[in-house]
Amino acid sequence: MAHAHPVKRHTGLMDWLTTVDHKKIGILYLIAGGFFFLIGGLEALLIRVQLWKPLNNFVGADTYNELLTMHGTTMIFLAAMPVIFALMNAIVPLQIGARDVAFPFVNSLGFWTFFFGGLLLNISWLAGTVPDAGWTSYVPLASPTYNVDKGVDFYVLGLQIAGIGTLIGGINFLVTIINMRAPGMSFMRMPMFTWTAFITSALILFAFPALTVGLVALMFDRLFEANFFEVAGGGNTVLWEHIFWIFGHPEVYILILPAFGVISEVISTFSRKRLFGYSSMVFATVLIGFLGFMVWAHHMFTVGLGPVANALFSIATMLIAVPTGIKIFNWIFTMWGGSIRFTSANLFAVGFVPTFVMGGVTGVMLAAAPADFQYHDSYFVVAHFHYVIVGGLVLGLFAGLHYWWPKMFGRALNEFIGKLTFWTFFIGFHLTFFVQHFLGLMGMPRRIWTYLDGLGFNTMNLISTIGAFLMGLGTIFFIINIIVTAAKPKNAGNDPWEDGRTLEWSIPSPAPEYNFAQTPLVRGYDALWKEKMDGNEGMSPAEPIGPIHMPSPSILPFLMSVGLFIAGFGFLYAKNDWNNAFVSNIFGNHIVAGLGLAITLGCMVVRSLKDDHGFHIEPEEITGKGVKA
Amino acid sequence: MSAHSHLDGKLPHEPERATLEGRNKVLGFWLFLGGETVLFGTLFSAFLALRDQVGDGNPTSQELFKLATVAIATVILLTSSLTSVFAIQAMHRGQVKAMQNWLIVTVVLGLAFLGLEVYEFIEYTHEGHQFSTSAFSSSFYTLVGFHGAHVALGVVWISLLIGQVYRKGLTVVTAPKVYVAGMYWHFIDVVWVFIFTVVYLMGKVG
Amino acid sequence: MSNHTTHSEEPAKRHKHEGPKKHIIAYVFSMLLTLVAFATVIGGEINTSFIYILLIIMAIMQVIIQMGFWMHMKDRGHLFPIVGILTGVFVVFTIVIMAEFWTWW
Repeated sequence: MAHAHPVKRHTGLMDWLTTVDHKKIGILYLIAGGFFFLIGGLEALLIRVQLWKPLNNFVGADTYNELLTMHGTTMIFLAAMPVIFALMNAIVPLQIGARDVAFPFVNSLGFWTFFFGGLLLNISWLAGTVPDAGWTSYVPLASPTYNVDKGVDFYVLGLQIAGIGTLIGGINFLVTIINMRAPGMSFMRMPMFTWTAFITSALILFAFPALTVGLVALMFDRLFEANFFEVAGGGNTVLWEHIFWIFGHPEVYILILPAFGVISEVISTFSRKRLFGYSSMVFATVLIGFLGFMVWAHHMFTVGLGPVANALFSIATMLIAVPTGIKIFNWIFTMWGGSIRFTSANLFAVGFVPTFVMGGVTGVMLAAAPADFQYHDSYFVVAHFHYVIVGGLVLGLFAGLHYWWPKMFGRALNEFIGKLTFWTFFIGFHLTFFVQHFLGLMGMPRRIWTYLDGLGFNTMNLISTIGAFLMGLGTIFFIINIIVTAAKPKNAGNDPWEDGRTLEWSIPSPAPEYNFAQTPLVRGYDALWKEKMDGNEGMSPAEPIGPIHMPSPSILPFLMSVGLFIAGFGFLYAKNDWNNAFVSNIFGNHIVAGLGLAITLGCMVVRSLKDDHGFHIEPEEITGKGVKA
Repeated sequence: MSAHSHLDGKLPHEPERATLEGRNKVLGFWLFLGGETVLFGTLFSAFLALRDQVGDGNPTSQELFKLATVAIATVILLTSSLTSVFAIQAMHRGQVKAMQNWLIVTVVLGLAFLGLEVYEFIEYTHEGHQFSTSAFSSSFYTLVGFHGAHVALGVVWISLLIGQVYRKGLTVVTAPKVYVAGMYWHFIDVVWVFIFTVVYLMGKVG
Repeated sequence: MSNHTTHSEEPAKRHKHEGPKKHIIAYVFSMLLTLVAFATVIGGEINTSFIYILLIIMAIMQVIIQMGFWMHMKDRGHLFPIVGILTGVFVVFTIVIMAEFWTWW
């Protein structure tokens, strides 16, 4: 049974480049996502500096367009989604009692393709041609006729590559959750965060292919003179809007559902109560996911689809308020009568609830199609989606990070700095975006570079800018917290919050490479809490201690992503005017692009031909770390 | 790890599902095909939206499409789907040689289909139906070309698998790969059914 | 990971190896459907929307043969594959409605 396959185990940088361990990949996602979050945040601050007074000339109009495009694109695709994937990687396998994800290799590939796609997109700053058609990249603004620079090409290719990573990551989590649950962990015993990770992965699976096609069509239009969106050639610009939002609206729920999951876990733990209405929570999550595919045209009310379409999408959108409302009430009822502890994680979670309600209410306002003609493209919309994405998702992510930090790193974050982070970020957030509702209602259009004096916009824009800097301060506090915590000894116990309810708190912090020395036997919802209530010390094992099979590390995912990165450059600069004839030749004839794709495909072939026997961790090594036999 | 159970000379009845890795692979591929459904669905939709945008003086779908070629391509691809079923059946019976032979037939039919498609595309470009001629032509070549690229990838993939099984034999590691490649081939066939129906036949009707 | 594999071996009962007969019948059926589809179009002279509906129905029947019989979707243990494919089909359905009704007006 247990063949001792010798396997090269790397250390240092090579360990991180070749790792297939979901916990390490989670940390990689966190670092990369955090890095892009800082870039996107910096762009946001520059936007706010430009807008702090009327007729400001801090950045030029062109630069402003680039900043707002890259801010949106970076925050959605390169900051929010990776940090969600960081938490999913770090926690979901632990919550279902699995030793690993279903496809460790694919998991690593998903991270590296996301990372190199994001890198390609951001290298546009260094190349000097930055995407500037907004994160939605509407045609004809983004078409080759009106956007002759390479900026949008960077957008198209960067997102295409990053999107591949996200898609395979989604499939990985679906299969992990369906196939790898521990004995006794039925679907209706799964922790809420795992449920939301499951539905989010499903949304990724069915929404991202639409984006892929949209980006391919735009790329063909720009690079190969196709006519999908070229009106002169019979193309249709509304088609891009449809395809983008058929992807784009599920994307919004891809972002928010995991935050719902985090909030459910944190509130339940720190209220020392079972999550109120668990099955209705599951139902609401599934329903939100389902409805998410039928509301895309509410982004397009002013396009002129006609009263029938607008009415349909209006009603479908308002319907989503029902399952969301169920969730809000469930969280409140979970806290009701609980012995609540306001740790920094729980502060973020409690702060989330009213903030998200405000974002939801403006959402219902926007869903009323006739009223939307007034709100459309004004700062009201900007306020709305920042309330749901920052006030919803980002607060949720902060809650999750403070909550699971000990499980990820073995050290709990400093509580005092954590609370400081919460209050500065929370107050800064509301200062920034609350006033923007009124700016919008007064008629300030979104995406404008500057505004005239005497329109009544001045004070509120100043407040908004001050708030943005407070949010920046909150982020700096968080970074300080990370540094301070990293200097502390690794002393977090299995269950550092003492009220842990789910399986991840039954194992050491940070989790060992194999997660569970013995696969646990799950006997109910809130598996660990049930054992605690029955007076048991931890989980009962479902199997004897034996050698544990582990997948081998591999550099191939990294190389495959580098290949795609090179191919992206090849396509980008195929029509560039190079001074050098040789360079011009290899780019113009798609030799560089072909080489990049050849690297990727070659690595795929190597992966298929070379069997991965993995290696075993022997029982002596496991029991040496103190596991009850 | 039961990855070495082939050493005792007997494969389980469904070797593709004998290990957790195998079951993960099959389920993951099913879900991937769900995503591919949306991918092709979006391409079809773009084509449906743009298929009347032919432009002045360019050949319309009625003038362009030759149903004889399409019919031959359809018969070839449907037959290859049947031969891949036979390959998987042979695998379930443990007849490695027969499985490889059926896979080779599948690959040859796939190549024939590709040859026909290339020939058809060259004909069309000669008749003034080029990639950048109109929105109709762009969406046509993108949709049918995406399918063709899938066929080409499938041909390379199955060829490599034949070689791999030749070297390593049929094991619980290689069996899921062959099974999944078979699923992929059927899916390509399903997409083609909609291409010949929606693109060619409906295009001919007008 | 390996430990999961041990307790979920195939059930002991021996599966009957299904012969090629069923699949050849399915193949003949799909050939017939193809033939009818092409014949309808070549024969022409019928109402266009009627032909469209007929063609779509025949395509769906072909898909049922392919996915149900040849991809074993009708067999047991295919709950998640069916859910996956049907969700994809549902999404495609909405996208097709978009393309047909809401791109030109």
